[in-house]
Amino acid sequence: MDALRLPVRLKRPFCAALPKSRAVHLHRNGSTTLPFGETVRSVSTSTSELQTSIGTPLVPYRNEEGGYTLPREARVRIVPASPSYFTGRPNFTDHLLSLQDLLRRNELLPTVPPGQAPRTAWRTLTEYKEGVSEPVKSAGYTKILSILNRLNHINPSLMPSEVREVIETYKRKVSPFDNVPNPHALDSWGRGLGVGRRKTASARAWVVEGEGEVIVNGKSLSEMFGRIHDRESAVFALKATERLDRYNIWALVKGGGTTGQAEALTLAVAKALLIHEPGLKPALRRAGVITRDARKVERKKPGKLKARKMPAWVKR
Amino acid sequence: LNIKKKERKDDGGRRPAVGERKAQRTRVVISNTNALNVPDIELMTAEGVVDENNVGKVMALPVTTVDSLRAVGAFKNTQGWKFFRTPSTLIRKETVEMARKLDEAAKGEAIRQVLIGEKKSGKSVLLLQALAHAFMRDWVVINYREARELTMGFTDYAPIPNTDPTRYSQPALTATLLTSIVQANRDILSKLTTALTHNPPVTLPQGTSLLRLAELATNDPDIALPVFHALWSELTYKPPADAPPASQRPPVLLAVDALAHFMRPSAYLSADAQTIHAHDLDLIQHFSSCLSGASALPNGGAVIAAMNNSDVPSAKSLNFALARAEAIQKAKKAEGEAVDVPTWNPYEELDERVFGCFDPAVVEVVRLGGVSKEEARGVMDYWIKSGMCRKEMRSKMVNELWTLSGRGVIGELER
Repeated sequence: MDALRLPVRLKRPFCAALPKSRAVHLHRNGSTTLPFGETVRSVSTSTSELQTSIGTPLVPYRNEEGGYTLPREARVRIVPASPSYFTGRPNFTDHLLSLQDLLRRNELLPTVPPGQAPRTAWRTLTEYKEGVSEPVKSAGYTKILSILNRLNHINPSLMPSEVREVIETYKRKVSPFDNVPNPHALDSWGRGLGVGRRKTASARAWVVEGEGEVIVNGKSLSEMFGRIHDRESAVFALKATERLDRYNIWALVKGGGTTGQAEALTLAVAKALLIHEPGLKPALRRAGVITRDARKVERKKPGKLKARKMPAWVKR
Repeated sequence: LNIKKKERKDDGGRRPAVGERKAQRTRVVISNTNALNVPDIELMTAEGVVDENNVGKVMALPVTTVDSLRAVGAFKNTQGWKFFRTPSTLIRKETVEMARKLDEAAKGEAIRQVLIGEKKSGKSVLLLQALAHAFMRDWVVINYREARELTMGFTDYAPIPNTDPTRYSQPALTATLLTSIVQANRDILSKLTTALTHNPPVTLPQGTSLLRLAELATNDPDIALPVFHALWSELTYKPPADAPPASQRPPVLLAVDALAHFMRPSAYLSADAQTIHAHDLDLIQHFSSCLSGASALPNGGAVIAAMNNSDVPSAKSLNFALARAEAIQKAKKAEGEAVDVPTWNPYEELDERVFGCFDPAVVEVVRLGGVSKEEARGVMDYWIKSGMCRKEMRSKMVNELWTLSGRGVIGELER
């Protein structure tokens, strides 16, 4: 029975004992652990480790004396469990083949349009390599991923359970896409609050419907920012979407310098505006005010004068 | 290393004479023939300024008024007059209010105002508009110009005998002030005659024109201060109702820009090398007593001082007095609404002389903010017609610039 189930089991890449699949451990008490955690008693101490690792599992049967013995074929010739044994990366090849097979079987099922499949984070190449203990190349893993993506596009209501199970085994343990931020809402005064950061400055902006008035830290925009460029940065989310005369901004900024504060405001205002009009997100992204600019001052390193500057060369 | 003194090449050019470079630096240009003529611009009149339908319009100053304004130093070279064909100003809400108050003040009750507000919010130009309105209404206008000139200690000064505490005269500056009074108010002063007898050195028969009186000292700084006081006593003389027209007295407008310099120790030193407080300088004492209401203006008139926010000396007592007066006046207007009136830090010394000048019941603090969107539209329209701004006028642009200029701060709008 176990022999029959073996190929199917192999298709699941991340069973607990998978890395040991090529090495069945012999224990001193004479029992053998198979790759899938099932134990049978060893019958022959002459069975080499090599033989057990590459051959079909040795299913002993009861002999006349009441003991157990190996089938005759097994004693005669070692047969690899999978033909992929002779490829460089048997597990990977098995996985790819089985996925191709799975896809072939389910190819005709209706799919959802591209981009509308459930967002799924697949295991990374490194994680996969760790799982199979084989030097899998990026290009090879891409083949697997493309099949998985195709399978993922099968209409969820018609997704066969076998496909679902296989997909499940290739998913990352923790999906970043499950991490959905809490939706923000306008408060009872109709204000949307956004928070933005840039360099070491952080800003909170309350955006409310109005006629284009801006107060930052209790000062007007012109008092707060001497440079016109900074003033434009601060309200760029509204300017780019042509909504400068429809909202008022009341903001608090601290930390950082002038530019940092202005650009922290950009982000804060954009986020607050999104609470009022979520549909503006693509426009704001095109304006470049959605993404946090993660650049910071690079730290100084020992042996260098600054982050990268080397001391001048001195003769002795 | 070459440490030899460089030989100056004689390029054959003339070296600038003494004062020539300063004259070049401080030259005020108020017209530009390259700028486009704005054909439909209206001329500013005393009636037009009072009309609130003109709010948001840019009006050109009449030529005679421009001459007078030039004489009293109302134009500054830091303002953008040199970019336009004729000097013109935007009539804003505050201008109309100011003009109306001046018209009220002509009837007898003098007004006293301090203009405060954000940098570049148009305080000096509002002061100029007040001066222009006074000229158009045939007032006598005395403008102290820049307060800094009087306190920075660059001119001669002398203690006035028999004064305790010692007061100081500034002969050259007084003569300059008298000259500007003569130039700017020539017409009106020539129509008025003296009604009082004055002590020497001012020796003029009664019935001489006030112009003649003022001209006595324009070339003679030594008697400038007595002449100035004599002129002032003539201007504040309250004639009987049946007096002839030459003895009647018009309202007087006293004005100064950058008030903070008047409200702190000056750069002058006394005989024992102590700093002289600005209020010990006689000219400034004269202004501050008029501002505080200690000296009355019986024929009506106004005392207007503008603050400045750039290159401003620290004058804590002044700032406190203004903030307090503003808060009290705000509370009075709001009626019942809680307003925080600032209190002085008891561990610091308050300049009582300065603080005493700003009685909230006497001196009104006028805060200038940004212009409204309609006013912004009006002034931008003028810029476009003058060829200064090569953009098409659209409401979107107006709104955008209005926000970026900090709610219509006019100087920021200009940038």
